[in-house]
Amino acid sequence: MGKARIIRCVLGMLGTDVHTKGIRTLAQLLRDEGVEVVYLGEHNTVPGMASAVIQEDADIVGLSFSTAAYLHYVRAFRDELISRGAGDVPVMVGGMIHPDDRAPLAEMGIEGIFGPGSTVPEIMAFMSRAADAYRNAGAVNS
Amino acid sequence: MRSNGKPPSLAASLDEKQVRLSRTRTWGGLETQASYGPNDANERDYKRDLGDPGEFPYTRGAYPQMYRSRMWTLRNIVGYGAPEDTRDGIEKTLAAGGTGVNVVVDTLTQQALDPDHPAFGAEAGLEGCSLPTARDIDRLLDGVDLTKVDVAWHWTIMAYQMVAAVAVKRGTPLDKLQGSHMPDHLQETMCGWGTDLLPAQLSQRATVDCVEYCVRNSPRWTLGLPQGYDLREAGLSPVGEIAIGMAVVKGVLRDLEKRGLDIDQVAPSIAWVSTADVDFFEEIAKFRALRRMWARTMRDGFGAQDPRSMRLRIACHTSGRSLVYGQPLNNLSRVAVQSLAALLGGVQSVEACTYDEPICVPTQEARELATRTQQILANEIGAARTADPLGGSYYVEALTDKVEAEAAKLMAEIEEIGLLAAIDAGRIAQLMDDYNLSFRREMDSGERIVIGANAFAPPEEPPPRRFTFDPAATQAHVRRFKELKAGRDGDLVKRKVRDVYATAKAGNNCSQAAIDAFVADATLGEVWGAFRMAMGRPYDGYRVIEAPFDFEAVSV
Amino acid sequence: MRVAEAEVKQLAESAIAQDARAGARLITLIESGASDLYPALSTLYAAGGHARIVGVTGPPGAGKSTLVDQLIAYYRAANLRVAVLAVDPSSPKSGGAVLGDRFRMSQHYSDAGVFIRSMANRGALGGLARSTPDALVVLDAMGWDIVLLETVGVGQSEIDIMRHAGAVLVLQTSHSGDALQSVKAGLLEIADIFVVNRASEPDAQRTVRALREMVHVDAERRGEAAWPVSVCETEALTGEGIAALAASIERRFTYLTDNPKARAQLRHMQVRVHMEAIAAGIVAARLTDRGGAGAPGSDVVADVAARRRDLYATARALVGGDD
Repeated sequence: MGKARIIRCVLGMLGTDVHTKGIRTLAQLLRDEGVEVVYLGEHNTVPGMASAVIQEDADIVGLSFSTAAYLHYVRAFRDELISRGAGDVPVMVGGMIHPDDRAPLAEMGIEGIFGPGSTVPEIMAFMSRAADAYRNAGAVNS
Repeated sequence: MRSNGKPPSLAASLDEKQVRLSRTRTWGGLETQASYGPNDANERDYKRDLGDPGEFPYTRGAYPQMYRSRMWTLRNIVGYGAPEDTRDGIEKTLAAGGTGVNVVVDTLTQQALDPDHPAFGAEAGLEGCSLPTARDIDRLLDGVDLTKVDVAWHWTIMAYQMVAAVAVKRGTPLDKLQGSHMPDHLQETMCGWGTDLLPAQLSQRATVDCVEYCVRNSPRWTLGLPQGYDLREAGLSPVGEIAIGMAVVKGVLRDLEKRGLDIDQVAPSIAWVSTADVDFFEEIAKFRALRRMWARTMRDGFGAQDPRSMRLRIACHTSGRSLVYGQPLNNLSRVAVQSLAALLGGVQSVEACTYDEPICVPTQEARELATRTQQILANEIGAARTADPLGGSYYVEALTDKVEAEAAKLMAEIEEIGLLAAIDAGRIAQLMDDYNLSFRREMDSGERIVIGANAFAPPEEPPPRRFTFDPAATQAHVRRFKELKAGRDGDLVKRKVRDVYATAKAGNNCSQAAIDAFVADATLGEVWGAFRMAMGRPYDGYRVIEAPFDFEAVSV
Repeated sequence: MRVAEAEVKQLAESAIAQDARAGARLITLIESGASDLYPALSTLYAAGGHARIVGVTGPPGAGKSTLVDQLIAYYRAANLRVAVLAVDPSSPKSGGAVLGDRFRMSQHYSDAGVFIRSMANRGALGGLARSTPDALVVLDAMGWDIVLLETVGVGQSEIDIMRHAGAVLVLQTSHSGDALQSVKAGLLEIADIFVVNRASEPDAQRTVRALREMVHVDAERRGEAAWPVSVCETEALTGEGIAALAASIERRFTYLTDNPKARAQLRHMQVRVHMEAIAAGIVAARLTDRGGAGAPGSDVVADVAARRRDLYATARALVGGDD
């Protein structure tokens, strides 16, 4: 019995969004919670981010948005992950997410949605649960 | 606080309901005293350190009569979709009583990416107006006299050059051109664009080129420099805004001196783009300290003779980051107080944020309320009557001194390293990260209270309404853009874009070449890409698309 | 973490067949200290031995990641497949980390000929993580032509990197000139190539001169057969000087090929260090198994602490001295 496994989280933004304040702060807060954050920052393309998820063997991916383009990008990103055999990696989305978009995001398979006012304990609780489920499923299936 | 089990006693409830001061430091982190008096005046000398409004060092205001001689410009920010969409928004804003228009462009236009960009095209028009060609600006301002109407462009890269191209096409002389934009590229480097998309050296060069050309050719055009607003939104304190902003301006002015421009040719065209966050007194102190520091820097540091160089004009957009998603109508109170701080601080224009800014592109209703807020301030409460009404307040004067002293200290630290080197070394990013992280920690600990976020958060609310618009016009606009590219005189465009490249590559100011290229229907992405390549960077900062043709080839 | 042997074997085979996801998963398993990886690692080790491992070290802010970014671009233009292993420090307080090196290599994210892996050092001293050597075995087996190993910039203990790389680049900033004197002995021991990044900055030429002088004096001391340490100037933001640096790296590997004695000396040292690390890992695992909280009756550590057992005999028994 070792310690709980360290969570590896790929954190980044897609598209031309330059509002990095939230994600930079979150990266530091998650580090302080014991997470290994692979920080991809802003300005990622969909294929580039998917490659990072695979090469970094992420337990979970966090995408942050402060512009209205998120439905488009989340859909494209999920499709890319699926087409590259990594559709099982859990994805969470944060930032300026409007409540009306929760349902379409959920339909895309996004389990964690953290809009304005989300707290670190909420995010951590979700990450631990999602990462565990992903790892356990992976050990059985591959 | 909620608790389970039996309800607390009335006495306990009352005790809990008291509002206690959670913090004695300012929002920006400066410690304050319980009260201030004459002993806190240090060595302050009225004539030397304050002066009457309109007198050096302009601490008390840029003009003697202040709002009696000229009311501040009540601005509204507009921009979404195609030029036709934004035009519609502008008309509604002016009809509601706004006196100035600020056009915000979409993220693609901001970053000089064309709307046919394969990776990011989907963002066209989403967060602002899509303006990839001079023709689009012409459509947006069809029938508007460019020498009379004061349009402020929230836009940095090639904004002036594109507007100038429209003027050229219309036969409007450039020296009569009126309006403003924000040529501070370095700020973009610092505020999330990063040194890859916008390397510090490239930013500096682009700013200096643009400012030089504007000052020489369009003296009535106002330059929003530095763009302190975004620096603050990204995580600088008021002290940081002054320190880094002054370092930006000084760097640009020094480079312009080397190009033979006198300070009095440049400084009068500059307006500082600032913000007003929620700390009322700290922001007022900041505006006052800023004017004083500016005046002394221009006179003593750069040898300015012209009072217009020494008296700083300030454009203020109230803080977006201070607005809260939960119970968004509270933002009307925040914006009112912030706007008041801006007026008591003596700014020349105010853009009041809409209360729904944390939710979406502003709705028409929210825009109208933002204008009303300013009209109430202008007409009812008497904020505009008397210049610098808080001058002489023990507290405000002490805070003004403190903000200035701290800013001078930080500026010296940064200039010791050199601003560009400090940016490259991540020093500015570190300042912002530290501020943002401690902000969050202080909220978590309850030291910093933000109503609706970490205190008195509303229970389940109905989802806030959000702005929507028909994307049909944007789609048509993008189709039109592609048709233009296919149908224009390709050889002419090549020749003009190559001129931009060759001029910049030779170390010369390529603004005129850029204007000529826009007149010839070159796109924003093409002209900026040529400049980037001349500076040794890839055509597309995202490295997704290659240059459309060889810039090195000899023009025919 | 225990993983089915068949599963690990499959991962190893897929990794050797250049499957990125399998390689990535293996590195995670190595990092998490999974037992039962040795058969797979042996398979991977047998498949490797071809990658050129280039170490990149230097103080924080010297521009290591930006330089690595440019080297990737250079090698890709030469049609070589490139992997990067970028090590960053873990927070001593939380054990978490912000791994930010990859961020500076974003131009290569979509290139299938590039594999970038970030790694937290998880408390290890010396600029690398304990799992670094085995992760390098995985990357080598995956057939990457060049493996760029970027370390935590930790000053004096950068010596670790030479234990794993065939060529070690030590970056210096333009301002390093004055500080060189105090660290010169240590740096010369590590560096195969000095790189002065941001060479166009005002103080850079002073640093370059100081390094050249230092290297020159040292070369006389080391004699003719020794590798001649070089000093390269780069501008990592624009890519200037990268081709010359790559040529220097090439010369270093040619030198190792042409000088069997030097090559053997380096390789033997590296194998010895790796074997010691593997052995130490086995001992640590045994100690955990025998001394773990789950087995109070056989807690050898407690027994030794209470002087019920002899320290030396117990330690020898752990490494199999009594088998």
